[in-house]
Amino acid sequence: MKARILVVDDDEALAEMIGIVLRNDGFDPVFCADGGQALDVFRSSKPDLVLLDLMLPGSDGIEVCRQIRGESDVPIVMLTAKSDTSDVVRGLESGADDYVPKPFKPAELVARVRARLRPGEQKAPETLRIADVTIDVAGHMVTRGGERISLTPLEFDLLVALARKPWQVFTRELLLEQVWGYRHAADTRLVNVHVQRLRSKIERDPEAPEVVLTVRGVGYKAGS
Amino acid sequence: MQGSGRTLNVQRLLLLGRIWTRRALILALRVSRLVVTALRHLRPGLRYMWKSLLRRWRRSLEFRTVMMTILLSVISFAVVGAYLSNQIANNLFQERLTQAESESRYYVKQVQDTFDGAQVNDQSSVITLVYDTLNAVEGNGSVIQRRYVFEALPEQTKPRNRWVESRASDQLTVRVIPPELRKAVQESGKEQYWASTEFPVGNQDHPGIAVGNKVTFNGTVYELYLLYDLENAQQTLDQIQNVLWAGGAALIIMIGGIAWYVTRNVVSPVSHAAVVSEKLAAGQLQERMVVKGEDEVARLGASFNHMAASLQEQITQLATLSQMQQRFVSDVSHELRTPLTTVRMAAEVLFDARENFDPVNRRSAELLYNQVERFQSLLSDLLEISRFDAGAAVLEAEPQDIFQLIGQVIEGAAPVAAEYGSEVRLTSRNKSIIVEMDSRRIDRILRNLLLNAVEHGEGKPVHVTVAANHDAVAVSVRDHGIGMTPAEAARVFDRFWRADPARARTTGGSGLGLSIAAEDTKLHNGWLQAWGQKGAGSNFRLTLPLRKGGTIVKSPLHLEPHDLGLPGTAADRQVLLVDTQEALPRATDVVPPDQQGTADDGGAQEAGEAGRA
Repeated sequence: MKARILVVDDDEALAEMIGIVLRNDGFDPVFCADGGQALDVFRSSKPDLVLLDLMLPGSDGIEVCRQIRGESDVPIVMLTAKSDTSDVVRGLESGADDYVPKPFKPAELVARVRARLRPGEQKAPETLRIADVTIDVAGHMVTRGGERISLTPLEFDLLVALARKPWQVFTRELLLEQVWGYRHAADTRLVNVHVQRLRSKIERDPEAPEVVLTVRGVGYKAGS
Repeated sequence: MQGSGRTLNVQRLLLLGRIWTRRALILALRVSRLVVTALRHLRPGLRYMWKSLLRRWRRSLEFRTVMMTILLSVISFAVVGAYLSNQIANNLFQERLTQAESESRYYVKQVQDTFDGAQVNDQSSVITLVYDTLNAVEGNGSVIQRRYVFEALPEQTKPRNRWVESRASDQLTVRVIPPELRKAVQESGKEQYWASTEFPVGNQDHPGIAVGNKVTFNGTVYELYLLYDLENAQQTLDQIQNVLWAGGAALIIMIGGIAWYVTRNVVSPVSHAAVVSEKLAAGQLQERMVVKGEDEVARLGASFNHMAASLQEQITQLATLSQMQQRFVSDVSHELRTPLTTVRMAAEVLFDARENFDPVNRRSAELLYNQVERFQSLLSDLLEISRFDAGAAVLEAEPQDIFQLIGQVIEGAAPVAAEYGSEVRLTSRNKSIIVEMDSRRIDRILRNLLLNAVEHGEGKPVHVTVAANHDAVAVSVRDHGIGMTPAEAARVFDRFWRADPARARTTGGSGLGLSIAAEDTKLHNGWLQAWGQKGAGSNFRLTLPLRKGGTIVKSPLHLEPHDLGLPGTAADRQVLLVDTQEALPRATDVVPPDQQGTADDGGAQEAGEAGRA
């Protein structure tokens, strides 16, 4: 079955080009040129992944991202022309999992898409614990004291990566490789923003984290 | 019984004595301890007072002016007062002296006349006569007007009149007469002499004048001294002096007050201006001076305000311009990148399919692909530079191990290094150095330096050296390739500058890489410097403060490599380098000028090196 990808971009030429590339690589692209209709198209097409341009007429990409994230955990990859820090961080904070800065190469785009679509490899029943948080890997469920915590697939992968090796300190680069699937050095802000988002969901006090600990100057590790 | 009682008494006395000695000792100790602690407590206070006074002296024009005025008034008043009181004292004395001399002359004549006309029959009447005559000199009335000392001349040839002995007024003896005066009187003929002296009156010593003469009685020569009391004159003088000092003190206080008032009037607008300009400098551009009246101060205030207004206007204008520039950059960025992305993707699709094309189309697809790549890197560099120019670049510093970063950079450059056949060697004594830095920017700088070194290294090894001191970390990238002249080293950070235009075209690059690196360094408050020599390669040194916002005193690494002997003396190099520095003032941008000299232990040499950055 072809994975369906919703491309939300107002630039028709670019959207068409992205469509050509995606089709070439065996995806099924759906298009939407207007941010205002993005949510409707999203609901009707039920895509497996959303490619979202940050600057859109009608509704700004960050708003669209927030709306989609409000009702779905589907992976969202932003297309940004602005690689300015604030915009990237704002996009990631509004719920995007990854971003591709323009101008990108087709291979780069496809790699990002594939990385986020990675079919969850058949997971063996496995239960991990960090601090007072329990992770059911196969069931894709995180609970604390019997109460379920809702995480996006990316946040879940991040948490699992840390929880599987609680003795190891993960550098941001290592996490980028394991969780995002980057083979080369990429923007470590991705890690920072997602760790913060993860913390805001699973920590009792995000200011004093117990589950995901910062190792100053190195990276992150799981709490005990 | 009696004996034992006395012993007891003695023992008791001894005991008492011992007790009292001990008590006295304890008391003395306590007092001394009290004094010591008081001093210890007071000393910081005194020092503090002294320091605060010194600070006020340095910082307050008002305080200094008032102090100077008071000091000068005190000095001038002391001089004038001393002169005045001296004059008055002199006058008073002279007046009294003239009076004393004329009176003495008169009374001595009287005495002599009485003595000459005296009948010398029996002792008692002679004595009575002499004494009455002398007592008459003291004057009549309740107050003694003049005192006398009547003394027989010690050595006389004639037989002495034994009836009349030496005599003096109450409380006086011949000892009150200064010996010099006596000598002068004794040795002279008929002249009258005087001297200042002091003599007892009641239980005080009064100042006075002694006037000496000789009188003869019945063939015997006597010295007759008349003493005049100057106590009244002294009192008058004291009173005058008291009035003088009191007046002086009052005057000085008043002068001090006036000086304070006047300087305050003059200085307060100035200090107001200082406060206002400090606020202006701190960015409160709406700050203005209060202008009152039409005097010089008001004119100062008005022109100051005028200056502030035009400053504010220009700054606001600049800020608006900068904002517009920023917006423009951002817009251009978006507007250009979207079509560029399409073009790039299209080019890549064509490039990937080139095997199916005929040779002309294939080559075209290749050219299109390569040039789009180049266009894209040029565009992103340009946008990056304009972001710096617009002041939109933000430092996102986080503590990170610089070795991790360097490792990535070296790994990333490995394919290029392999292509050029160079080996990249990392040298350091440290294993891990945590630096607060924007890793994206530092990564960009180091990658740029390393790729440059590999590209210009002619296949020879490239050395990356890392070192740290307590406030800075330095990374130097050294190649042994074609190198560059000091003049070229001074220009490498200039935009679009190429040492060899023809050559650089083939190596690619936008010509902005090192400019961006320099800007990135500046954002970190760091130094980026270049050294080069034709044929001996070049060395780029990046020095960063360990903590964000910190300053670098000295780079942990030398800019000029130790691995070669340079021709020419240090002085020659210095002259050469100073020249380049003057010719290219922009070159100093990366390194704050005040830190150039201290960057390394070789001061003069280092100044030149910094100039090349």
